[in-house]
Amino acid sequence: MRELKIGTSWVRGVVGDALTPELVVNFASAFGTWAGAGRVIIGRDTRRSSVAMRSAALAGLQSTGCEIIDLGLAPTPLISFAVRELAAQGGISITGSHNDARWNALKFVGPDGSLLNTVKSEELLDIYHSGGFKTARWQDIKPVIEDRTVIDRYLEHLLSVLDETLIRQKRFRIAVDFCNGTCAPLATKFLQALGCTLLPVNEEPSGEFAHPPSPNPSNMRQLSTLMKCLHADLGAAINVDGDRIGFVTSDGTALSEEYALPLAAGIRLSRRPGTVTTGFSTSRMIDVLADRYEQQVIRTPVGESFVIDQGIAEGAVLAGEGCGGVTALPASLTFDGLLTLGLVLEQMAEKESSLAQLASELPRFIMRKLEIPCPPNQVYRMLDRFRDEYSELSPDCTDGVYLRWDNDWLHVRASNTEPLLRIISEAESETRADELLEQAQTFVRRMAFAFRGR
Amino acid sequence: MPPSLSLKIGVSGVRGIVGESLSPQLVVSFAAAFGTYCGAGPILIGTDTRPSREMLRHAVVAGLLSVGSTPVDVGIVPIPALMLHIREVGAYGGICISASHNPIEWNALKFIANDGIVLRPNQAKELTDLYHQGVYPRVGNSEMAEARVDTTTLARHRVAVTTNIDEKLIASKRFKVVVDCCNGSASQATPQFLRMLGCEVHELYTDVNSLFPHNPEPLPANIVDLCKTVRETGADIGFAQDADADRLAVVDELGQPIGEDATVALAIRHCLKRNPGPVVVNLSTSRMIDDIAAGFGVPVHRSPVGEVNVVEAMIRHQADIGGEGNGGVILASVNPCRDSFIGMALILEALSREGTTVSEMRSQIPSYAMIHEKLLCRARDVAPSLRLLKKLWKGHPMDFTDGVKLNWSDRWIQARPSNTEPVIRLDAEAPTENEARSLINEALECLSPSA
Repeated sequence: MRELKIGTSWVRGVVGDALTPELVVNFASAFGTWAGAGRVIIGRDTRRSSVAMRSAALAGLQSTGCEIIDLGLAPTPLISFAVRELAAQGGISITGSHNDARWNALKFVGPDGSLLNTVKSEELLDIYHSGGFKTARWQDIKPVIEDRTVIDRYLEHLLSVLDETLIRQKRFRIAVDFCNGTCAPLATKFLQALGCTLLPVNEEPSGEFAHPPSPNPSNMRQLSTLMKCLHADLGAAINVDGDRIGFVTSDGTALSEEYALPLAAGIRLSRRPGTVTTGFSTSRMIDVLADRYEQQVIRTPVGESFVIDQGIAEGAVLAGEGCGGVTALPASLTFDGLLTLGLVLEQMAEKESSLAQLASELPRFIMRKLEIPCPPNQVYRMLDRFRDEYSELSPDCTDGVYLRWDNDWLHVRASNTEPLLRIISEAESETRADELLEQAQTFVRRMAFAFRGR
Repeated sequence: MPPSLSLKIGVSGVRGIVGESLSPQLVVSFAAAFGTYCGAGPILIGTDTRPSREMLRHAVVAGLLSVGSTPVDVGIVPIPALMLHIREVGAYGGICISASHNPIEWNALKFIANDGIVLRPNQAKELTDLYHQGVYPRVGNSEMAEARVDTTTLARHRVAVTTNIDEKLIASKRFKVVVDCCNGSASQATPQFLRMLGCEVHELYTDVNSLFPHNPEPLPANIVDLCKTVRETGADIGFAQDADADRLAVVDELGQPIGEDATVALAIRHCLKRNPGPVVVNLSTSRMIDDIAAGFGVPVHRSPVGEVNVVEAMIRHQADIGGEGNGGVILASVNPCRDSFIGMALILEALSREGTTVSEMRSQIPSYAMIHEKLLCRARDVAPSLRLLKKLWKGHPMDFTDGVKLNWSDRWIQARPSNTEPVIRLDAEAPTENEARSLINEALECLSPSA
């Protein structure tokens, strides 16, 4: 099977397989057409293939007559900011993000600075499939403009969201694992402005990733080990394109990526009370925390574009998911790792607590995850049966089937990226979490047996 | 009437109108096919100054990287300098992004083999086959090469072109020269080159960021500004190049264009004075060359039209000097391609040695009147049209190397399909304009009913 996925707000694939420069030229042409041949911001991550993808994207955009502002190596949140700041009609972030180095993708940003939502993505796909791209005559082709200054305005903007003075007083020592991605230059300036000492790990923007980029505990082992000798107050692993972040305590304990959202939520909700949006599969820690501040949590289908799109619509102040992607709305309209880091530092400064203390004060839930391969033509039938089975619990079917009890939940959904079902459970005890997962698994296996040969 | 087809994929590369037929999609695939053809090594990319250059270069870079080749961006350079660079560093090949003398809305990819010569027709066919098969062995992220930049092209070329030229002698003459680079790819190189030869240079159109001030083909009608400036400044000579700087036109000290055929004739005459030997020109080149060669007792070999055909014939006949009548001078020992810089160097050396003026030198070579006509003709109508002409001229000796050519002792006419446009080209040369015109008219009358 060729590895290509076209989802809401992105096209991703394995370079050299289905992700060809022809495909990129066509998608860039479609995007340029969608953006009305206006101003478009472009940036890329450090992967080798991103250079080739950038060339293909520039060729496609230029052929439609777009005015392109190229940020060079740039984290996705910076591209999102530049779209707003420079009043562009859209942006393209060339990044395979948390996927391994073989993958790459185009992430599409709309004129408001957020990733394309479902409706906008469909418009883009219609143009792509129709092939009716705008074609500029030779005299309407515009040269690419390079911009290395918007980064400073972005930095100022980030700092304006935080209590700079409070954080500066603490003179934190922060170890950051950049996974050889795009964030090191920006993070250096950011942490300097916050009076912190940065202890960089894997900071060379080489695209040769020292470990898989997702900031989960198993990918933070190197950072955990280093924490013991770095004497840092906090360790952070930031994804290649700067959207997701994971945390390690000063004694080297890697926290689950689920912690990023609740750790940032405390300070955000105390300073700026308001609604929080999050995906169905994210830990209930956020619900408990929002309760403390008497704020509402709205659940959306899994995926950054859903969570943030809904957040914007609801006027939320915080949006995030269990993958470590968090942002403060409306300050930054894509998941923003550095902003999340800033919020956590502010929380530490405010509470005069260590990261370990902050984490221990969060409610403890046990989460279990399982993936079961499922042929694409059975996925929806499977979910239907599952819903029927639990109909008396009136499940939420916005994204797969979401069952909720007082303190526990079970979510069965189709993967956005692979032909499989994802089963996630969360409970206050390990026994209960295992039991819920087991229930779902048994049901799915029984149905799979029943569907055999049909 | 079928829609006008502006795209032409042929031995001269891929040529089309930007925004109409030459899309980045097409260019990406052709670059991937070329990278596949050349292998995973360095491929040099040079451009002229057309506003579409950047878009096409990005598409070329993307296509080359996708198959594991290493694109090396050498910037805005004359095509002869690009070709020399490829040969000198042992690159795997090169792509020149330029539609040469075509108007500004056109652009093209010209594919260059690792020996610095444009792909031969059979190689071009292999490339086109690869393109049509559409299967390019793509590489993954880890095998992907890094794109590079190299800015040494112009310096390498300057050194090579002046190797066998008496620079001191030329410099001692302190020539006053006006250059019209049409704001094309030679805009930086030509003034530098001439100043190195001690010339006082008056630059006419040498701004790479401006549009072409006139049609880039260096025909007399397109270089009136140059003629005027030569007169006004009292210069010794004027040079005009096309957008990729392979062709050269010369204006004498009176402000008169000497004709592109005479460019080649003067260069050949000077070379034969230095070192007599066989000469190769294409079938459409003026009879002047035969007269000049006869004076030195050396043979003239005629090749089909097209740079690569001339170069191939030069290798076959061991000729050092040759060219095409459209102003393309080739000195094989220095750079086996049409090189306007070699043309300038040879003509300036000739002026220095002979201590004469351009108009005087021009008057020493015979004059003929040449007329070029073109007739719109779809590919499928080419062969029937040529058959009609064969019938018309039945009984006369004919040369079928490239279309149909008839030779008399002092005149000739040739009809051949163009490599770049859907037309039949009719060229005739005779002692007087009326005689040449009547040859053309005869052919036109024969063809017009069928066309």
